[in-house]
Amino acid sequence: MEANYNKPLPKIDESNRPFWEATRRRELRLQRCNDCHHVWYPAASNCPKCLSASVEWSPMSGRGTVWSFIVYHHCWHRGFEKEIPYNVAMVELEEGPIVITNLVDVRNEEIKVGMAVEVVFEPVTDEVTLFKFKPA
Amino acid sequence: MLEGMRDKACIVGLGQTRQGKLPGMSADEIAIWAFRLALDDCGLKKEQIDGLMVQESYGGAGDPVRVGRELGLNPKIGTSVIATGAAGAAMIQYAAMVVAAGMANYVAVMYGTNQSTNRNRFATGNPDAQAPFGMFNPGACAAMGFRRRMALYGTTERQLGTVTVTQRKHASLNPVAVLKDPLTVDDYLSSRYVIAPLRVYDFCHITDGGHCVIVTAPERAHDLKQRPVMIMGMGRADALQQWATPDEAVMQRVQRQTANMVYEMAGVGPADIDALYIQDAYTPAVLSAIENYGFCKEGEAGEFIQGGRIELGGELPVNLNGGQTSETYMVGWGHTADAVRQLRGVCGPRQVKDAGLIQCTYSGNLSDHTASIIYRRS
Repeated sequence: MEANYNKPLPKIDESNRPFWEATRRRELRLQRCNDCHHVWYPAASNCPKCLSASVEWSPMSGRGTVWSFIVYHHCWHRGFEKEIPYNVAMVELEEGPIVITNLVDVRNEEIKVGMAVEVVFEPVTDEVTLFKFKPA
Repeated sequence: MLEGMRDKACIVGLGQTRQGKLPGMSADEIAIWAFRLALDDCGLKKEQIDGLMVQESYGGAGDPVRVGRELGLNPKIGTSVIATGAAGAAMIQYAAMVVAAGMANYVAVMYGTNQSTNRNRFATGNPDAQAPFGMFNPGACAAMGFRRRMALYGTTERQLGTVTVTQRKHASLNPVAVLKDPLTVDDYLSSRYVIAPLRVYDFCHITDGGHCVIVTAPERAHDLKQRPVMIMGMGRADALQQWATPDEAVMQRVQRQTANMVYEMAGVGPADIDALYIQDAYTPAVLSAIENYGFCKEGEAGEFIQGGRIELGGELPVNLNGGQTSETYMVGWGHTADAVRQLRGVCGPRQVKDAGLIQCTYSGNLSDHTASIIYRRS
């Protein structure tokens, strides 16, 4: 963990607390519908497919592929100033949903759309552990 | 059913303020300036306006109640429509429905902004899903879409450069445009990345300015000053699920539904369109729209736009105002204004010869709202 972490932190509330509690345990859990088994992200109060309210936070495999990625050369937030150029990626999880994340342990020039990746966890404060992905 | 709305409304008044920097004016003052220009343009009096639609604007501006009070109007309908990058077009569509239904006779639709002077940095990102990972600025989704386009179809950055270079040529012929210096593809390729693969010339040029159009039914247009521009077709489709449906939202394929609706209502197809205006907050929007509205096949837009095809005089002139990378960033309003001028035949050196049908397309950056209108010369 970095002292004086100054990047934006997720606002943890009732709707997403189970997600961020899971990442602290180094687990990626998303909501799964108990009726139609649809999985989605980000958190919702019911299943966006069948509208069932019977929803469970269910563990994901942590495997996925890069749907697309971009590289920031302009700084919109001083917390990221020293990391420019840094990547942001859309990863399509094996279970279907797309998450926005960063890719680590890879140079930006080596990232490819379709590349297989797996989740890693990065504790950034006592409360927040971010989920990132590295080449699988 | 849809064809029942064909040609049931028209644009009769157009107001466009000076664009660029308008220091010392509030966004609402700028919108009201555009409203006065639109009244002068068509010859209507303020008291005849019985519908008012105001687009929300940066810094909390664009509240129809506040604008109505400043205008001294109690219209039959005074409202706003929330539809991100498609808001202006969506309001023109609702105005058309209102006048066709007889619920109001003359609807003024307006937008004003001073976001250049007030330095809107466009630094926002979803606080939970995006900002912790450093994803800021609405250009991120256009960059994601273009990167995937490069991977899926082999589209190149050089091909994308044709969009902004062509638009700059058009801007050089447009007295309203803010950026007119010549630009080559090599200039483009040597410019800095902002969010790679997008460069500085792929981003819209933020400006102050205001626009207003006045919509009425065709039978009320005869005794006004300008030749009416008919609203022949209208389409909408909204990918409200955004990132959860990335093909629809990021690749903007939801526009295929917008296309089906607008062409069915108008009773025409892409081959009939004389010029195309694409709301281009970021240049990849041009590639997406050309494909999704059926001007070429999926994946072929990068090649399609080469060789002058989208230039004035080409097979499908696109964004003859200069687009939002060169003319002004008005959330598509500059495109609407220029389409109206083309169909009035007043565009001088950038007039499309015998322009009869012009299509405008609009989209939020994540296609959460998309709209298209086909305008016809009367």
